[in-house]
Amino acid sequence: MIVMEPVLEPSVPGEILLRASNLRAEYEAASGGIVAVDDVSLSIRDGEVLGVAGESGCGKSTLGAVLSLTARPPLYVLGGELEIAGRKLSFDPDHAPPRLWRGSVVSLLPQGAMNSISPTIRIGDFAVDIIRAHEPGVSRKEAIDRAAERLEQLGLPARALSSYPHQLSGGMKQRVVTVLSTLLNPRLLIADEPTSALDVSTQKVMIELLIELLDRRLVGSVIFVTHDLPVLRMIAHRIAIMYAGRIAEIGETEEIINRARHPYTGALLASVLVPEPQIRRRRITGISGAPPSLADPPPGCRFHPRCNLATDVCRTTQPPQVGDWHQYAACWWAQDHQGEAVVSYL
Amino acid sequence: MKLSRFTSRFYVALGIVFLVAFFGTLGPLLFTGKDLTTVVGGLYDAPSGKAWLGTDNLGHDVFTYLMYGTRSSLIVGVISGLIATFIGVVVGTVAGYVGGAVEETLMAATNIMLAIPQIVVLVLISVALDSRSVTSVAIVIAVTSWPWTARAVRAQASSVRTREHLDIARLSGANTVSIIVFDVLPYMLSYVVMVFVLQISIAILSEAALSLLGLGPSEGTSLGLMLHWALAWESVRNSAWWAFVPPTIMLTMVAFGFLLLQSSLDEVFNPRLRRDSGRKRRKRIASARTAAEAAEAATTSGSGA
Amino acid sequence: MSFTRYLVRKLAWSAGALAVAVFLNFLLPRLIPGNPIDAIVSSLGRGGAEAGTLKAVKEAYTEAFGLDKSMVEQFFIYVNNLLHGDLGKSFTTYPQTVGDLIGEALPWTIALQLPAILIGWIVGNILGALAAYKSGWFDRGAFISSLFVSSVPYYCVAILLLYVFAVVFPVLPPGGGYSFGTTPEWTSAFAADALEHYWLPFLSLLVVFIGGQAVGMRSMAIYELGSDYVNYSRGMGLRDSKIVRYIFRNAMLPQITGLAISIATMVSGAVITEIVFSYPGVGTLLFNAISQTDYPVISGVTLILTVMVLAANFLVDIACGIIDPRIRAAGGVE
Repeated sequence: MIVMEPVLEPSVPGEILLRASNLRAEYEAASGGIVAVDDVSLSIRDGEVLGVAGESGCGKSTLGAVLSLTARPPLYVLGGELEIAGRKLSFDPDHAPPRLWRGSVVSLLPQGAMNSISPTIRIGDFAVDIIRAHEPGVSRKEAIDRAAERLEQLGLPARALSSYPHQLSGGMKQRVVTVLSTLLNPRLLIADEPTSALDVSTQKVMIELLIELLDRRLVGSVIFVTHDLPVLRMIAHRIAIMYAGRIAEIGETEEIINRARHPYTGALLASVLVPEPQIRRRRITGISGAPPSLADPPPGCRFHPRCNLATDVCRTTQPPQVGDWHQYAACWWAQDHQGEAVVSYL
Repeated sequence: MKLSRFTSRFYVALGIVFLVAFFGTLGPLLFTGKDLTTVVGGLYDAPSGKAWLGTDNLGHDVFTYLMYGTRSSLIVGVISGLIATFIGVVVGTVAGYVGGAVEETLMAATNIMLAIPQIVVLVLISVALDSRSVTSVAIVIAVTSWPWTARAVRAQASSVRTREHLDIARLSGANTVSIIVFDVLPYMLSYVVMVFVLQISIAILSEAALSLLGLGPSEGTSLGLMLHWALAWESVRNSAWWAFVPPTIMLTMVAFGFLLLQSSLDEVFNPRLRRDSGRKRRKRIASARTAAEAAEAATTSGSGA
Repeated sequence: MSFTRYLVRKLAWSAGALAVAVFLNFLLPRLIPGNPIDAIVSSLGRGGAEAGTLKAVKEAYTEAFGLDKSMVEQFFIYVNNLLHGDLGKSFTTYPQTVGDLIGEALPWTIALQLPAILIGWIVGNILGALAAYKSGWFDRGAFISSLFVSSVPYYCVAILLLYVFAVVFPVLPPGGGYSFGTTPEWTSAFAADALEHYWLPFLSLLVVFIGGQAVGMRSMAIYELGSDYVNYSRGMGLRDSKIVRYIFRNAMLPQITGLAISIATMVSGAVITEIVFSYPGVGTLLFNAISQTDYPVISGVTLILTVMVLAANFLVDIACGIIDPRIRAAGGVE
């Protein structure tokens, strides 16, 4: 196994670029709404990579869809606000978000790029359609040239533009889609499991491409949604751990990995192979029980039925956020044990 | 909500099919007294108490003819459906399971058969037959309508071929025929049922088309033959609606009923059912494992004591 | 280059199918029990043909079939005649050639079927795509009526339309290709008359074609609406109109392939529909030939139908290859 060492300096100073507050989104189902993102707020600095991790069904991909403005039925965004680079957007289930934000302000790097481009058009035609959707005056040739230039700048062959999607290999397709997603220099890129379908060496190339895009300031910041903690360790400045539609803990990558303060984060890390000397001596364990049904979440802290450290208050009252916007754990235990890591208690 | 929509569609289809089937099978037993040779009136007498649906061009009772016509159409449908499904399933399964040169040969034959319009082969064979009974018409239709089934079944069979339980069957020394019968076919049973339903409706419509062309059964009657004579004797232009509307409606009901049945069966058999059975299977495996662990625990504690 | 290979492959398939059809056309009439010519001539005699005609028919038929020769030789004679465009002579309208009879009937059939298939395909696809895109009452109404119409046999629709619009409300003529007593000629009066007779058979075919295509297109388009590329294209800020164009293009492919499969059914259905309206095309020609056991005409019509369907399929294959790059790349895998 390739050991994924941290490749970025842990902190890149920058202004706050994006502020998302009180996001709420639900899936409409016959039995009633399923709230998959429940009152989530987060902020990202310019140039930062924020990892979003959690088990399947924790709402991380839904959060990605909400932030990239691509929520569509049966997913409805019930409310919340987005403030990005000085521009504001209020979510409202009755009004679609502005089309022109998508792709240029926030952009989506989809999961499984295999089928992300219509199989019957050339990559170049899609690039032209993207550019023209935002700048209708641009000629076809000009648009193609711009896309070709961007590909070459990032070390990818410009002839990919004359290919159909099925003619590119999986890794190449994912990288080309990444370039297309950032063609309009979006301020925020939401990458939804972009590396999950790739083998480890291709993953590494993908990560390097993302870092290069950040270094060249072709994207402002990146939200990287994945279940793969080792990959996040390699690229993310901060990590947000989601559980049952809420953020359980958020913090600097090394803090989360080495000094988790939320019992769920601790349990999640214990179930992943992390080849760090201070952790690797422990046995890999699973988390007992199953994630709660989002249609009927438990009262109080949503993790309490599976938590070893749960007390009476956890069962009745929603936990406070212990810390500041930059780093906090939503946990009663953390409230009582400020500054302590949860690892030794599990 | 989805489940109830499916069931209503399924029951409507089943209702239509049963109605037609009862009319064709039980009708001639219930309404006795007239048969295909009974003449009850003149050319195109209007419906009356004596002849509920009037008379046809030879003064026969249309209602009686409709019962017997429905019966022979259904007989053609079932016989032809059985044979065509059988040929199609055998060719498709062998091609899909065996693969290689056998598959290529069988599929080449199938594709060529598919390229030639069915009506052409039907007409040519029917013309060559000296006399045509209901059964021989059914066989002729079956012989020309299996190719699409073979093609569809082959796709299913070759996807089943790669499953692991077949490797186990092969490793345990089972021969090809028994693997096909016991390990491949059961996986396609639901699909074969749908194919059969569709083949019945195709055969009934093909019989009607052949009869309209004048190549229907040379004895008895059928829905297509009724239409044939109604058209030949100008019932439409003479406003004798009772001669052509009943067989038209009956054919429409048969075609729509069977198609609806097939598409609602598709809903049952396809994704949802498979997912359900998968979940049940996993549950069964889980409970089996618990039982095994319990047994193991029991023996360990027993030996310890 | 691979597109050429694809075309050659498809052409080879069509040629193979044609060869088999020619062989069946040759073989099956020769399987009639007893001496086929005697059977034919005696049935003609029953039909009341004159003795002189019968003798001429018998001689011509014996010579054309070369029945005294071996089957292999007969086959080569048959193929040789075909290659020279010689389909034989009709029994009932002797000495008219089968080629002439088909030549008279074919334009009527093509004029009826080609527009009905093309317009039915286009309108049906647009209707199906709209139903998928709009959903709601439009979708439900369009879907259920399409499903019903597409499952009703062609000739049933034809008979009911004929009864309603030519007999109950006599707004259109009750059949034929033109009024009784007129002869086909290139005048505007005749064209208007022919057009009047055209509506009913045309509409009855069109209704069924539209229904079938709409049902297929709707489910394809619904499937495409949920695909990844739709989501990504939205995520990149593309206009809905652009995305609908992507969807249409992709949903179109299975629809075109579907057309290749259903074209034989369409042609057969249309042939039967001609009988209902006594429309002077190859369907009515076939019907008359069957009722008079005119074997050369039956054989000629079935051959022409096969060629029509194979040619239409080949055109559809070309269209598929042009639209779908994957087909070109794969060289046409089933």
